[in-house]
Amino acid sequence: MSEALLADNLAWAAGRHGDRDFFTRQAAPRQAEHLWIGCACSRLSGQDLTGLPPGAIFALANLGNLALSQDIGFLSGLQYALEVLKVRHVVVCGHYGCGAMGAALSDPAPGLVDHWLAPVRALAWRHAQDLETILDPAARANRLCELNVAAQLAQLAANPLVHETWRRGQPLSLHGWIHSAADGLLRDLETSVSSPRQAMALVGGPMDQVGRRRGKRKAS
Amino acid sequence: MTTSTIESIPPRLLAEPIEWFFAEHYRHRQACKMIEEVAAAMVFDRPRVIELIVFLDQDLPLHVIDEEEDFFPLLRRRCEPGDDVERVLGMLSAEHRADVVQASAVRDHLLACLETERAPGLDATQRKAMIAFAAQERRHLGLENAIVLPIARLRLAPEDLTTLGRRLAARRGRLLDVAVGADQA
Repeated sequence: MSEALLADNLAWAAGRHGDRDFFTRQAAPRQAEHLWIGCACSRLSGQDLTGLPPGAIFALANLGNLALSQDIGFLSGLQYALEVLKVRHVVVCGHYGCGAMGAALSDPAPGLVDHWLAPVRALAWRHAQDLETILDPAARANRLCELNVAAQLAQLAANPLVHETWRRGQPLSLHGWIHSAADGLLRDLETSVSSPRQAMALVGGPMDQVGRRRGKRKAS
Repeated sequence: MTTSTIESIPPRLLAEPIEWFFAEHYRHRQACKMIEEVAAAMVFDRPRVIELIVFLDQDLPLHVIDEEEDFFPLLRRRCEPGDDVERVLGMLSAEHRADVVQASAVRDHLLACLETERAPGLDATQRKAMIAFAAQERRHLGLENAIVLPIARLRLAPEDLTTLGRRLAARRGRLLDVAVGADQA
């Protein structure tokens, strides 16, 4: 198996030979402007979806694109992106057809995956009334996927590392998006925030102008 | 006499997504009529069978993505609790799933008929399945036209329609101009 992967790599590298600058472009120093928090089971990366050059996106991935304040791996990546790379945008990007959301909606089995997905399961319980109206399991999981992106963005908006970034006066916007592998298109879930005040509104505090406009429409 | 066809939609309608959906539903009704005609026919009609296969293979799945992964999620965010849209959309999602399964079975039968050059309706079981699919699809379209599209007209803001139209177009390999919604493809 590993031999096959290494052989595939040789073929892949050799296949780039026609594009003389390919590896020069890959290796060129570039300051990432975006931190992309995606799902480990997504088949399309932020770079695939946006066509941005290599290095423009600093990517973190885990099951269900969670932004948990208890996850040291996530926190380390976030801190590196905010303090060293000084990214200006953080995107939490879920995807329709997410296996993690499907797992969170099915019977729990003992195991670390279920522990990891416990916050998503709790989120599904909070929205059980709405989710139960969606009879098709795949469509129900897709709706949970949207709710989860909004919930992770709220987590991120309350993260001390994010607030410290704003306190330093560093420009930073947080965005909640979703994509489908069926069409490769990103959908903006309209949860973007760029200031502590907007972050406060997103997690349920007093609303500013942006929050008021969003609040008039149904929150995800 | 079999005269029905599945018309194409003018690309300019992509900039007016609700009109696009009405037009798309009209095409689906035309497809339903054609399915019924093909199911009733005693003679194999290759061009019409191919037209239906293309519709079931390409147009229908794209339309389900348009609605399930774009239009319905947007409506869920925009509708007021009093619209009671969740239950209708939830039911329509289940119907979409059933449509895809039934459409796939009808397509497989049509593909088999393409090989044997037998009229698809000569098999009584398959004829019944084709007619059942067309009837279910018509009912589904009626519900969407009567409830979902009028609510969308009421709740979606101009900027919603602009971004929705851009995604519908992109899904079909077209780019709509951001400022004026003109077709550049």
